[in-house]
Amino acid sequence: MEATAATISCANLSSTTTHQCKWNQRLRPSSDLYRTIRFSNSFSSGNGSRSSRSLIARAAANTDNKGKKKTKSKKAAVAADEEKVDEIVDSSEGFQQQQQQQQQQPPQPKITLDDVNPVGLGRKSRQLFDEVWRKFSGLGQISRTARMDDKEALDALLIREGPMCEFAIPGAQNTTVLVVGATSRIGRIVVRKLMLRGYSVKALVRKADEDVVDVLPRSVEIVIGDVGDANTLKAAVEGCNKIIYCATARSTITADLFRVDHQGVYNITKAFQDYNNKLAQLRAGKSSKSKLLLAKFKSEESLNGWEVRQGTYFQDVVAAKYDGGMDAKFEYTETGEALFSGYVFTRGGYVELSTKLSLPLGSTLDRYEGIILSVGGNGRSYVLILEAGPSADTTQSKLYFSRFSTKAGFCRVRIPFSSFRPVKPDDPPLDPFLVHTLTIRFEPRRQRPVEGPAAGGKQQDLRSFKLILEYIKALPTGQETDFILVSCTGSGVEPTRREQVLKAKRAGEDSLRRSGLGYTIIRPGPLKEEPGGQRALIFDQGNRITQAISCADVADICVKALHDFTARNKSFDVCYEYVAEQGRELYELVAHLPDKANNYLTPALSVLEKNT
Amino acid sequence: MALRLPTQLATPGKLHRHAFSSRRTFAASDALFSSFPSFASSSSARTCLLPVVRCTAQQTGPVNLAPGTPVRPTSILVVGATGTLGRQIVRRALDEGYEVRCLVRPRPAPADFLRDWGAIVVNADLSKPETIPATLVGIHTIIDCATGRPEEPIKTVDWEGKVALIQCAKAMGIQKYIFFSIHNCDKHPEVPLMEIKYCTEKFLKDAGLNHIIIRLCGFMQGLIGQYAVPILEEKSVWGTDAPTRIAYMDTQDIARLTFIALRNENMNGKLLTFAGPRAWTTQEVITLCERLAGQDANVTTVPVSVLRFTRQLTRLFEWTSDVADRLAFSEVLTSDTVFSVPMTETYNLLGVDAKDIITLEKYLQDYFTNILKKLKDLKAQSKQSDFFI
Repeated sequence: MEATAATISCANLSSTTTHQCKWNQRLRPSSDLYRTIRFSNSFSSGNGSRSSRSLIARAAANTDNKGKKKTKSKKAAVAADEEKVDEIVDSSEGFQQQQQQQQQQPPQPKITLDDVNPVGLGRKSRQLFDEVWRKFSGLGQISRTARMDDKEALDALLIREGPMCEFAIPGAQNTTVLVVGATSRIGRIVVRKLMLRGYSVKALVRKADEDVVDVLPRSVEIVIGDVGDANTLKAAVEGCNKIIYCATARSTITADLFRVDHQGVYNITKAFQDYNNKLAQLRAGKSSKSKLLLAKFKSEESLNGWEVRQGTYFQDVVAAKYDGGMDAKFEYTETGEALFSGYVFTRGGYVELSTKLSLPLGSTLDRYEGIILSVGGNGRSYVLILEAGPSADTTQSKLYFSRFSTKAGFCRVRIPFSSFRPVKPDDPPLDPFLVHTLTIRFEPRRQRPVEGPAAGGKQQDLRSFKLILEYIKALPTGQETDFILVSCTGSGVEPTRREQVLKAKRAGEDSLRRSGLGYTIIRPGPLKEEPGGQRALIFDQGNRITQAISCADVADICVKALHDFTARNKSFDVCYEYVAEQGRELYELVAHLPDKANNYLTPALSVLEKNT
Repeated sequence: MALRLPTQLATPGKLHRHAFSSRRTFAASDALFSSFPSFASSSSARTCLLPVVRCTAQQTGPVNLAPGTPVRPTSILVVGATGTLGRQIVRRALDEGYEVRCLVRPRPAPADFLRDWGAIVVNADLSKPETIPATLVGIHTIIDCATGRPEEPIKTVDWEGKVALIQCAKAMGIQKYIFFSIHNCDKHPEVPLMEIKYCTEKFLKDAGLNHIIIRLCGFMQGLIGQYAVPILEEKSVWGTDAPTRIAYMDTQDIARLTFIALRNENMNGKLLTFAGPRAWTTQEVITLCERLAGQDANVTTVPVSVLRFTRQLTRLFEWTSDVADRLAFSEVLTSDTVFSVPMTETYNLLGVDAKDIITLEKYLQDYFTNILKKLKDLKAQSKQSDFFI
């Protein structure tokens, strides 16, 4: 066995080893491991001859075959080659000599045999003539065919990923985009646009039917899965950097809407976050896309550090005396919920629940964008107060507040840091880095009665409250958007089903916002199947859209938004600009339709509100 | 319909084969040429009217031949999609949201890049008319940027194929046909390719199809392989001393303008000429490349007279007539024609800003900066020598 190993290695190594192992093989048969060695011997003898050939090939420096080399060299009989011919002959006879020669003379021939080979010379001259003729005749003709190799190389620069290509986007090569709903009207254009720009594209389809696969470009990686079924999504998000979701329910049946537009978005965001976290764990760290847990109320002990306080806005002793008083408690109930409840009958009174934040080592809130709370209760609104300042000296702390409302029942609330206002108007805007205390305050002012069946029909006392806390997390920041969701404005949907459609879409949007992923939600007007880039687009927030938009334009926005930092965490409506009939224009169009090459998206989006 | 078509197509094919059968007379005498377009038109009138008459008899218009789903205006067929211009057309179309079908000749190495971009590739050969009709089903617009390769006989693709395609398009109710021709093709009947392009223009006009004819001057992309790469590789660059000027244009710009024209209903039946911002002689282009590359080129200047002489010489023999045809452009080179037109009017028509059209200086500068940067990066990494393109 040893011998085999040695021969194999000697095939690649120098002549010395070949030599030694040859000796080994010749000696071995007399040893006790006869059977094994005979096997290895017969095996290695073939190997050995091969190794000797490889040696010759190296010595001859330019030939590929021993036999050919010999005949050719004999015919040619050039003085410069004589030595080598000798060498070859020697090598087949004795290895010792060859080894010496090799050491003496490094393989550097001055003229190779090919130089004098008449066939080769003929071929070369033919090539030369062809080249000259090609160039000469090229001068006299209009169209020309590029040679295949030229073409390939040119394509690489001009067409495919090269900088000369008008579609090229830096960073596209390293980005894998998962397109959900790749066969939809928008999706199939999105896929093509991504391919043109050099992205790696994965397409999630439900069935790999032939007609489905034919619609998609060939180098798209097709993943079978269904957004309604969370188990099938694991493979789909594997290796993806970004997701474009342009799937939509095929019918307006509530079950369909829920499955695709609501649960589908939730499932895929969850799968994507799971994948991000898994990646982060492999690197022994936290995913930059995962949320930071600030507090989780799972046990009795988790309530430690939280403190209930009460107070009044007015320092009016008389008023306080005659009002009904207030009370609040924070307790862990038998059903396993952290319940903050109480009442405030005092005018101008409030109760609050407060804690000092203890962040894990190495993480600071400035790398986060907002706070997400998972809460339940009876639908009151609360004020979230952040105290910021140097933690050593609390007297310098400044207070920032943001009001949030809850629904009856459980819900998750997303509060971006940008929505916090200073209590004293002169204070600078909130710097999340300095935040050290978090307070949830209930006050009876500005409460609205809960509508719907959860209200119980009775007259609600807006001064009492119940808040079940599940967790408080911080949402990470980032540069680019991770998830682009194509939603809808509701115009163009048949009126009887509009509400259901919108409800499902909104629910899907909400689950995306709370996922912690950077999101872009595009709500196009009614879709038209026509080429894009022809008409000016209106970007708006606030459901004021009247016009239609072409699928291709929506697809273009999706692709542009991938690397646009202004697109992160925004929802917006988009449609064609309203064009009045000839002679009935109310205003003159000042700016011209931007060209496709320009980036119209950044200026359009930079004026829109974030975290919407 | 598909079954009936080949029989109809057989007639014009045969007729033209007569016209082309004696290539040398055809190339030599101008008298035959002047009569040729009328001949083509008469044949087209004969063949193209036939289906219409039949259709009225059946109480159906040509558009409704396939009842059921209407043809989507975004569905286009690109003929010659693998060429320099064709691929840019395909890219542009895909990016603007068209459904693109590419007519590609069946070949051992298929045009994979088209499929990778998301175009649908159908196999058909213009020289085999029976393969055409199936590819036109469901197509709204045909964009024809095919030109036969220099090494194959011109008439198969460029004349017989095109005639078959146009007749088929007419019979199947294709709603728009965009044809790319060559600038000045009406002025140089001695060059077979230009003559054929001109005849095809005529034929298209007479076919009664909704069409746009776009005449082109020269592609910037061609210059890279011809001058830029050899200069960087320090190989010899071949050029002529011809005073002919060509206004080269970027194919990406051509594609962009084409689609603007395609969507503009006012353009129907028009003849547009696209030219670059400035016309260049060969010598000027070489000088520009030298300046941008920062090294002198090893220029081999071939006098036009030599080219012309070679052509005259090769025309003497039957077996070299192909070569003579190939060199036919030298005739144009000797006459100091300018391949350029003022574009202001076209820009206004299409609503394009003139400054959006890339100039040759800018184009070549982009190329050289990119390539020199790439070279620098590569040189740091390896000793590979062939990375100029």
